[in-house]
Amino acid sequence: MLVGALFAGLVFGLYFTLVGLGLNLVFGVMRIVNLAHGDFLMLGGFAAYGLFSAFGLPPLASALIVLVVFTLLGLPIYYLVVPRLLAARDSEMLSIILFFGMSQMIEAITTIAFGATERSLPGRLLGVGPVILLGQRLPSSWVYSAVVSAVAVVGVYLYLYRTRLGTLTRAVMVSRDEALATGIDVHRVSAIAFGIGIALAGIAGVFAPFMLGSVTPAIGAGINIAAFAVIVVGTLGNPLGTVLGGIIYGVSLMLMQTYLSSWANILPNLLLIAVLLIRPEGLLGRQVRRA
Amino acid sequence: MPDRKRIAGDLGLAALVVVAMSVAHGVYSNELLLFNFVMFLTLSQGLNLIYGFTGYLPFGYVGFFGAGAYGFALAVMHLHSPPLLALAIAGLAALVLAVILAPLLRLSGAYFAIASLAAAQALYEVIANPDLQDLTKGPYGVSLSGVFAPRLSYFVAVAIMAVTFALVVWLRNSRFGLSLQAIREDPVSAAMAGVSVVRGRMVAWLLSSVIAGLSGGVFAWHISVFYPDTVFDVTFSIFATVFTLFGGATTLTGPLLGVFFLYGVYNAIGITVPQYFQLIYGALIMGLVLFLPNGLVSLLTRRGFRVP
Amino acid sequence: MFRRALLGLAALLPLGIGVARAAPPAPAELKIGTLYASSGPFASISMPVYDALKIWINEKNAEGGVFVKPYNKKIPIKLISYDDQSSTATAATLYNQLITQDKVDLLIADSGSVLTSVAVPIAKEHKMFLFDVSGTGGTFFTKDNPYIGLMADPVSTIWPKYIADFLDDIGVKNGIKKVAILYSTNDFTGTQAAAVRGFIKKAGKLDIVYDQGVPTSTSNYTVLLNNIAAHNPDAVLELGYVGNDIAFLRNLQDSGDKFRFVFTIYGGTEMDELLKNVGAAAMQGTFSYVPAALYDYKPNFGPTLEQFRAAWDKAYPKGSGVEWGANAVYGYMTGLVLERTLATTASMDQMAIHNAVFGLSGKLNTLDGPFALNAEGAQVGEITPLGQLQMQGKDLKLVAVYPPKFAKGKADLGK
Repeated sequence: MLVGALFAGLVFGLYFTLVGLGLNLVFGVMRIVNLAHGDFLMLGGFAAYGLFSAFGLPPLASALIVLVVFTLLGLPIYYLVVPRLLAARDSEMLSIILFFGMSQMIEAITTIAFGATERSLPGRLLGVGPVILLGQRLPSSWVYSAVVSAVAVVGVYLYLYRTRLGTLTRAVMVSRDEALATGIDVHRVSAIAFGIGIALAGIAGVFAPFMLGSVTPAIGAGINIAAFAVIVVGTLGNPLGTVLGGIIYGVSLMLMQTYLSSWANILPNLLLIAVLLIRPEGLLGRQVRRA
Repeated sequence: MPDRKRIAGDLGLAALVVVAMSVAHGVYSNELLLFNFVMFLTLSQGLNLIYGFTGYLPFGYVGFFGAGAYGFALAVMHLHSPPLLALAIAGLAALVLAVILAPLLRLSGAYFAIASLAAAQALYEVIANPDLQDLTKGPYGVSLSGVFAPRLSYFVAVAIMAVTFALVVWLRNSRFGLSLQAIREDPVSAAMAGVSVVRGRMVAWLLSSVIAGLSGGVFAWHISVFYPDTVFDVTFSIFATVFTLFGGATTLTGPLLGVFFLYGVYNAIGITVPQYFQLIYGALIMGLVLFLPNGLVSLLTRRGFRVP
Repeated sequence: MFRRALLGLAALLPLGIGVARAAPPAPAELKIGTLYASSGPFASISMPVYDALKIWINEKNAEGGVFVKPYNKKIPIKLISYDDQSSTATAATLYNQLITQDKVDLLIADSGSVLTSVAVPIAKEHKMFLFDVSGTGGTFFTKDNPYIGLMADPVSTIWPKYIADFLDDIGVKNGIKKVAILYSTNDFTGTQAAAVRGFIKKAGKLDIVYDQGVPTSTSNYTVLLNNIAAHNPDAVLELGYVGNDIAFLRNLQDSGDKFRFVFTIYGGTEMDELLKNVGAAAMQGTFSYVPAALYDYKPNFGPTLEQFRAAWDKAYPKGSGVEWGANAVYGYMTGLVLERTLATTASMDQMAIHNAVFGLSGKLNTLDGPFALNAEGAQVGEITPLGQLQMQGKDLKLVAVYPPKFAKGKADLGK
């Protein structure tokens, strides 16, 4: 049971890396907390459901569409709220409240449009039955989700370190003011990062029906706490640290389910508090903020 | 002398609301609706104590409320305490929780907000856990019908509200309150000017949490049958936060305005079209943060008027 | 002669008074108050109840109203309802609103234990009889509170009786020895887990090899299933809410694990919803409760299941977003109890309503089965037979397999 739980936790954690990745990118570039992150993930799940019901699209195709559409969606949202928010005195604090409002709006609109019941995609779309990996059995949907997550992480890495825009993005991450002073179009760089962040949430959402059984308009709030725990543990503002956070989250969740199942939900909360108090800069941490 | 006039203005407004809520009980018969108004008036002002005066926004404010409710319930169930003693235990439970969570004050605002929410959820998970069924009744909920006294508990709630108002008035007009606001504006200069940053925040934090605990205790008493989900419902935090933000923190008027207007509208239209209401709520929050971060009263205060 | 005439008069007197009392000025409408949850975790069990109740009200109003014995005439029904959004705090206020402001004649609770819980003390305090549709919480029914009656659901403690009986009887005969219980830690499913554990231990024929609670928000069962499989159980009981059952059944299919007996609550009780989310392949062969929505009882009052289903489909055609299920039957059945209560009550006083409702106990059979209350007002007449989801042609059908008296087919326990 122990080996099984560790291995499953590792793979499950890779999915949670994807869940937290976009949140961390947005935080890293803009120093704001997108508390509507879980709701964008939920929208991704509904998009996958809608695309499948209407056109029979499989999840992998939906993920590509979500990537493009959500990135484009992020741009106007960024320009509508973020520049004004960043001009405020305590933008980090205010961002939580602002995006909480956005989260409420998204949940309300989705409920009005689709109702509150569970939605899901047929499991066969990602293969039925287990896959044997290193002697351990795993659902094939987990393997798909983990691979997509890995691709996303590599994609973000390549974007940040191998493209011109990525270099500019990293400059903004290091210091927004200096980036401004050197003439970088900070808003353009940030808007794209914001779009990518939302798109990553959306892609994670496409796989949510497989990883979480089903999606409802209300799942956003719970996802936010988990995603936040993942990125705090894995180092805030360092998108690649999210991998570590995700894996720690996944493994410890599965260990809890195995040995103390009824207490499993307390875990992300305690993990979050513990890391914030003991090592606020995160496990990989160079200091990126004054906590 | 103007000082005294200001205090009189503040106290006058506070007294007006206290009297109004007492009289309303005799006039309007939906006691629970009135009780909820009193409760949110108290919770919003309690949140105001910590958010308005230190800038720390506890998203998990409901944790203290829940701790109070269960403090009350456990005292009644296991110690067979009379309600008023149980209420004191409710306040104590919240105080103990606040002391345990005090290290969170080391964090800056955003992390504090989220960590406090995580703490509230962790407490919920503990109390609702079936392993503790013998102690807390776990997820099966508690029934306190033995001490059910809707009328008395209503007036006790009004008394707690009155004390909370008095605290806000005191903070607004005392040296201590002013030093807190100085910390909020600029902790470094405040510390250099000899203000004890740590002590100031701690006092506001403890006061604020005890108020939520007492509120939770009197809620448990008034409603008498509840589940862990009932008293750890994040909606309590959300409502208190939105009401405070809407009217304007640091003032007495702001949260009052928020509760009477928003909770009034909520009860008038929200209950029939909740999703639309949630939508409007969300839009309102976003609009406030972007365009009126200091609430409605700032329309007056920024023009130099003083609002109680 | 004179004495006889006097006696005759005396005999007439109370009758005359009786007649005078029987026809007080009738109100223009009968106010029925209830709550529903259009959003939040209880929306899926609350809305069908509410929608079904509306069908009953519309039917009665189309006939000119419901017959109310104290007024000896039909009175149109006015439904006063509010949305509590699955929040108990809001629900409490609204129950109070219905009683004190709207002054409803009859009070119906929202669906499920959580949203009913707050109504119990309020109804008692205001001496208002609470028609409890499906709030089965053990704490609701006490000797000192006559103001509650449970309509449609049996109390949680007797739900799993037939699961245990089946396993102890047919299961043991077929070589089932080890049982695993996995339950969500909330009032509804926790109580059932405790009950089934008690039944199994009492019989002493089976070995419980795994018995764990998980948070109700658990959405992934892969590792849990892996751990269960490590204990080699023959039978696995998963007691959770709809979302739990969806995730569990999907993960079970993904895992490739095979157990001879798998039970979920909602595989049968919300079959349509689960079929949509899980698919027939993953549900085939599993066991569940047979809800009234899928079992033809012989009613002695009101329509048969088939007739009601037709009325339902007409009111809420496919695609209207309203799902057919057991809760729809519960809502309509509550309407039928109301109808019989109003037709038999001595007056509109709430204790008289109590007496009328309890007077129906043991006599009323509806499309939801026999209606019987114990002294505290808990429902003990309704039963939940055990059924298995079996393929019949291309369709998945829930076939009642136990107890023998209700069985419509044979259980297939596989190898």
